Amino acid sequence: MGTTMDMEEMLQKIKDRQWALADIDWDAPGAELITDEMRPKLKAFMADLCWIENVGARGFAAMAKKAPNDTIAEIYRYFHAEEQRHANAELALLKRWGMLEDGEIPEPNVNIRLAIEWLDKYADNMSLSVLGTVIPMLEVALDGALLKFLLDEVDDPICHAVFEKINNDESRHIAVDFAVLDMLGHAKARKLAIEFVSGVASPGLIIGALMYIPLLNRVRNEVVDMGLQPERLYGAMGRFKKLGDRGEATHRVPLYQVLKWHAAMVIDPKHPYHLLANTMVTLSDHYPKFLLRPIPSWFKELTYEPVSSTVDKPGTRKDAA
Amino acid sequence: MSTTTTEKRPRTRKPTTTHSTLIIGAGFTGLGTAIKLREAGVEDVVILERADRVGGTWRDNTYPGAACDIPSLLYSFSFAKNPNWSRAYSPADEICAHIEDITDDFDLRRLIQFDTEVTALDYDRREGTWTASTAGGQQYRARTVVLASGPLSNASFPNMRGIETFEGKKILSAQWDHDYDLTGKNVAVIGTGATAVQIIPEVVKKAASVKVFQRTPGWVMPRVDVPTPKLAQAVFAKVPAVQQAARNALFLSHEVAATGLVWDTPVTTLIQHVGRAHLRLTVKDAWMRRQLTPEFRAGCKRMLMSSDYYPALQKDNCKLITWPIATIVPEGIRTADAIEHHVDAIIFATGYDVQLGGPPYPITGTAGRVLQEEWAGHAQAYKSASTHGYPNLFFTAGPNSGPGHNSLLVYVQGQIDYAVAGIKTILDKDLVSLDVRPDVQAKYNESMQKRLKRTTWMSGCTSWYLTKDGFNGAMYPGFATQYLRQMKNFRAEDYDMVSHGARRLWNVPAAQAV
Repeated sequence: MGTTMDMEEMLQKIKDRQWALADIDWDAPGAELITDEMRPKLKAFMADLCWIENVGARGFAAMAKKAPNDTIAEIYRYFHAEEQRHANAELALLKRWGMLEDGEIPEPNVNIRLAIEWLDKYADNMSLSVLGTVIPMLEVALDGALLKFLLDEVDDPICHAVFEKINNDESRHIAVDFAVLDMLGHAKARKLAIEFVSGVASPGLIIGALMYIPLLNRVRNEVVDMGLQPERLYGAMGRFKKLGDRGEATHRVPLYQVLKWHAAMVIDPKHPYHLLANTMVTLSDHYPKFLLRPIPSWFKELTYEPVSSTVDKPGTRKDAA
Repeated sequence: MSTTTTEKRPRTRKPTTTHSTLIIGAGFTGLGTAIKLREAGVEDVVILERADRVGGTWRDNTYPGAACDIPSLLYSFSFAKNPNWSRAYSPADEICAHIEDITDDFDLRRLIQFDTEVTALDYDRREGTWTASTAGGQQYRARTVVLASGPLSNASFPNMRGIETFEGKKILSAQWDHDYDLTGKNVAVIGTGATAVQIIPEVVKKAASVKVFQRTPGWVMPRVDVPTPKLAQAVFAKVPAVQQAARNALFLSHEVAATGLVWDTPVTTLIQHVGRAHLRLTVKDAWMRRQLTPEFRAGCKRMLMSSDYYPALQKDNCKLITWPIATIVPEGIRTADAIEHHVDAIIFATGYDVQLGGPPYPITGTAGRVLQEEWAGHAQAYKSASTHGYPNLFFTAGPNSGPGHNSLLVYVQGQIDYAVAGIKTILDKDLVSLDVRPDVQAKYNESMQKRLKRTTWMSGCTSWYLTKDGFNGAMYPGFATQYLRQMKNFRAEDYDMVSHGARRLWNVPAAQAV
């Protein structure tokens, strides 16, 4: 990863590797392998996973506007769509497993709602060095821990087929994420410092951290509840450090250092950090619902239907909220 | 519509006469040139037209909603006015009818050879004549040529993944199939440029559903399209000076816009504020506004003029889709979010085969040089009208002649004046050849490129104005007034001239020896 990536070649590869829900036989046998005991927990977990993909999608949409050149902007446009694709595919799995009524879209938890509000309000104004550091962290956590864990727990072959496709996409996302992070690290120290100070000192990022910390811990608690060895998640966090440190200049991105430090705390189950983070999870459960703003329309674009024949306007479908 | 050679090559029939001028194309420009040439006393003019009717782009573009996006009063020739424009922005069929009227009013029809598609133009250095070969085999010879075949006269389906597999109806905006009824159909529109914003509001009225696939949103300005009051039509007909005054006022108001649309200035920012306000006032949903907000400086790509595009996108049967298109499949379009959109028809509003590298037929000048080869990298000409090595040949809509803020026809009128002045010089001075000096041409282009640096077109977006390597050989960096001033001023000293008289004088011994 020390060498620069040929972004044109990567874009072509992305275009060549597109797939669609229609490629998958959602009625194939295997759905019956989901046990009744697993159902409620699996539904909650998959719903969160799908919403986290959607949150990541929105992150890429913001990054497309900041991209240093047209090729990377186009790559981010694809990544934005691909995260949406993953969310759609995960919904389709939920539907396959009989966990969704017709037209039902699972409800996002309060931490997701808060993350969405944050993204909608602040993401487009964040610098690429901030977004470009936070997104890889999210993706590594998704790819490295949650998805792999899911495959250990679920025997459905279609689930495995779907996540193989998702994982292939994600590996390209992560490769580009870290290549860009390294590119950012090559910027002048002064620019990095200014962007860090203005980015980190901004209310946007402080609020962002307040959203991110409980979101991460809630998902952590959920998967631990389902039997995930927390080490899995910690392994993923460690991977963030490993991939980042491989870059020639990544270490020069200040926020990368902050996230690495944060990851180290998350990895350590005895760290007092978890007291704070779990308190925040509990607090967020009591976050007054009336303070939540209406769900933005991009959030309602998710669908488990492989084919769309007419115009399906957001809001005409059964609302998620 | 392209110039592919037919399998059975028709027998070439050599020309028997040498005309004064050949004009290629019977659209606005070709017909305007003929009018002005005859006004100047040049009668022996032949117009070659590949179709069976006049009208050019306005004959070909008949898609629903087709109209001009510059007010008709200004989108017309000052020497062939129409007092009866029905609306501020006239629809295509009315413009086409106006072109038919001009043809009859100025008795041009007898000059036109219809169904005559030019396949090559060759210069004879010895005779100082051009020979046009045509698809039918007939050749035409003339002392001078005016290229009026238009820069956007050809269009084809884009090279998209899977396009050949689509089993529904494919419609190209520039070759609209009026026999196909869109009523009650599920329709996709690919593209959101100047053509698409005119098509979409019309299609939304008829189709069951319309999905609009957008790649890059453009700046959309409101277009106040009102019917021309009967009183105004009557006054224009009786007192042409009033119509001229209205035209002048429109011209000046467009000239003011150049300060923001041609050059990248604070006025550009102001124009963007207007665009954003238009968006904010007409589009309710915040995310949709974000999808529709352009990321380039206003003017960098062609401005879109429409007051019904944004409302149409928000109709219940219409949806804007900004996911990249992964591939076209037999049933429709697959987007990168993994969804397959099944449609009955796809409308491709994906632009034209822009001829930045010269017309689609080969033009061979002195010493066997081929224009398309010379222009393959960067096209250049002197005052957009003449290119060294191609004597007696005049371009319209040539290199660096495009307006970004004013009526194309205003510029064309300047090009016609220039060509007429050049042709008159050749005929009056009895010249073999009139060839622009290479040093003059080089100096002119150097200044063009220097002046282009501060324009909106060079502010960082990609557009059809630019070649792949970012060279702008399309647009004129200035006010229309500046352009017209340079075109009014035909300077013979900028050209190398060889006269028949001089040649006869020098060649006397040789001629006697034969």
